Amino acid sequence: MSVIAPNFKLSEFIKSLLDNVFWIVLLLVLIGIPAVMMVLFFMEMPVIDGELLTPFLALTWLADPSRILPVVKAFMATDIFRVMAFPGFGFAALLAAGTIFVERKMLAKLQLRVGPFYCGKFEGILQLMGDGLKLISKEIIIPAKADKPIFWAAPVLFVAAAAAFVAFIPVAPGWVVADVEMGLLGVFAVIGFFPIITILSAWSANSKFPFIGGIRALFQMVSFEIPLILSLLGVVMLTGSLNLSQIAASQSSFPWIVFLPVGAIVFFITMLAELERIPFDLPEAESEIVAGWLTELSGMMYGLVQLGTYLKLYAFAALFVVIFLGGWNGPMVVPPFPAELLEEGIELGPIVAGPFPGLPLFDQAMLNGTLWFVLKTVAVIFFILLPRGVFPRIRVDMLLNLGWTKLIGLAFVNIFIALGLLYAGVLGPGGLQ
Amino acid sequence: MVGELAGNYSTVVLMFGFAMAAMAPALVISRMISPRKRSNPVKFLPMECGQVPSGEGRTHFMMQYYPYILMFVVFDVMAIFLYAWGSALLEIPKMATLPMMGFLAIMFGAMAFALYQSGRRRIW
Repeated sequence: MSVIAPNFKLSEFIKSLLDNVFWIVLLLVLIGIPAVMMVLFFMEMPVIDGELLTPFLALTWLADPSRILPVVKAFMATDIFRVMAFPGFGFAALLAAGTIFVERKMLAKLQLRVGPFYCGKFEGILQLMGDGLKLISKEIIIPAKADKPIFWAAPVLFVAAAAAFVAFIPVAPGWVVADVEMGLLGVFAVIGFFPIITILSAWSANSKFPFIGGIRALFQMVSFEIPLILSLLGVVMLTGSLNLSQIAASQSSFPWIVFLPVGAIVFFITMLAELERIPFDLPEAESEIVAGWLTELSGMMYGLVQLGTYLKLYAFAALFVVIFLGGWNGPMVVPPFPAELLEEGIELGPIVAGPFPGLPLFDQAMLNGTLWFVLKTVAVIFFILLPRGVFPRIRVDMLLNLGWTKLIGLAFVNIFIALGLLYAGVLGPGGLQ
Repeated sequence: MVGELAGNYSTVVLMFGFAMAAMAPALVISRMISPRKRSNPVKFLPMECGQVPSGEGRTHFMMQYYPYILMFVVFDVMAIFLYAWGSALLEIPKMATLPMMGFLAIMFGAMAFALYQSGRRRIW
């Protein structure tokens, strides 16, 4: 039971609330609304049904579904929607939030605890929201003599780098934020940012534990980057493409894990190391170096780093799915959109809604692809979370030895398996698929 | 042409910028609603398990794994070179793989030597 602080005064609390409301309204009026006006002035509005869409028309059409649906569809085809909502940030953040809750509950069950229980009526389902509110209302303490700009920027940069990683992931056919020719190389480039951000944050904190944690993170990511890169080469050789959408589309008859299990295992282990998950969580080893490179981060800065970590976890699991498990490919299980809804509309007792010609916002292939993609990603995330309840931490020299001798050797074995399959005529042109 | 290729990556930058623009307000809001008391200078000392910190925060720190870093510099470039070969493998003639195998053999030799040297801890 929480107790109200002894110095609590309701009048001051209300005054602080009103202060914040005042500043928000002032900034909105002075900066926000003029900014929206300027953007609207310079933006090219789409032409829908032969009419130029002005903000006034858009608001008028809100009442009429047959007119607002094309607007919604036009919005969903823009880059802004992709970045903000569906294959981009919103979707990834939603899956990341789900991952945090599932991880806490599952880990609790593995260790015979109950886990989050009280927040929210059912099984602590609102625990994450409560934690978010707690973190945002905590004071951010910057250690003395820290390099303030870098220390403030590091958590935001961490989330942003994770989001840039998410941008490369194709979720359904055609649904990807950045459909680029060299997608896989882009992914490697973005992965290379994480150790830099980690070491920047660790160095700027001017504290011993973050410093040691940052150096450990650097070593770990350095020694596992090469097996990570090499383990995906087999798939690239058999596909002949670096575009992630094409790699996913090439697995319509069988996933690559069938032929290249060695590469999949190597990639999974390096993935655990890059994510700093439990057998390789040396950078945040809580029993040795307090919290590693997160030690001096407090309040919302810690929350942002956690969000970035779980976004990164989702992105890595999704990359595994796209490259080895076939991405969006799967049997068609989503039923087709009911045709009578388009032609006749709905009649439910007194409610009559007219025909909706523009209604299927997402086509059947996209819904089915997303369903299979999410199912596979969740399964991979489960296997990433599982070692946390099972394995102890390994030593740093064992880690380096594992990365440099065993995993690189296995990655080359995988490359030679792929070459053999290609030249024996099993796969590639003239082979299967 | 080059600009067009680079322009394809603009959405990645957009995603990067959106995440920054969406997350920075969380820090600002936190700064606005959280208590800020500058009552005690000890509060702002770096974490050292409850003790007053001694010594410097940023020091020279022996990690003693330099050979791995040196190997990383070489092998990271090699891995990306292998991608240039691997992504074009379906188009090039089969005989073109032989020089690549020679390159890999040289690399394996060099790597085995480097790993052997890194095993001899006392020379580092």
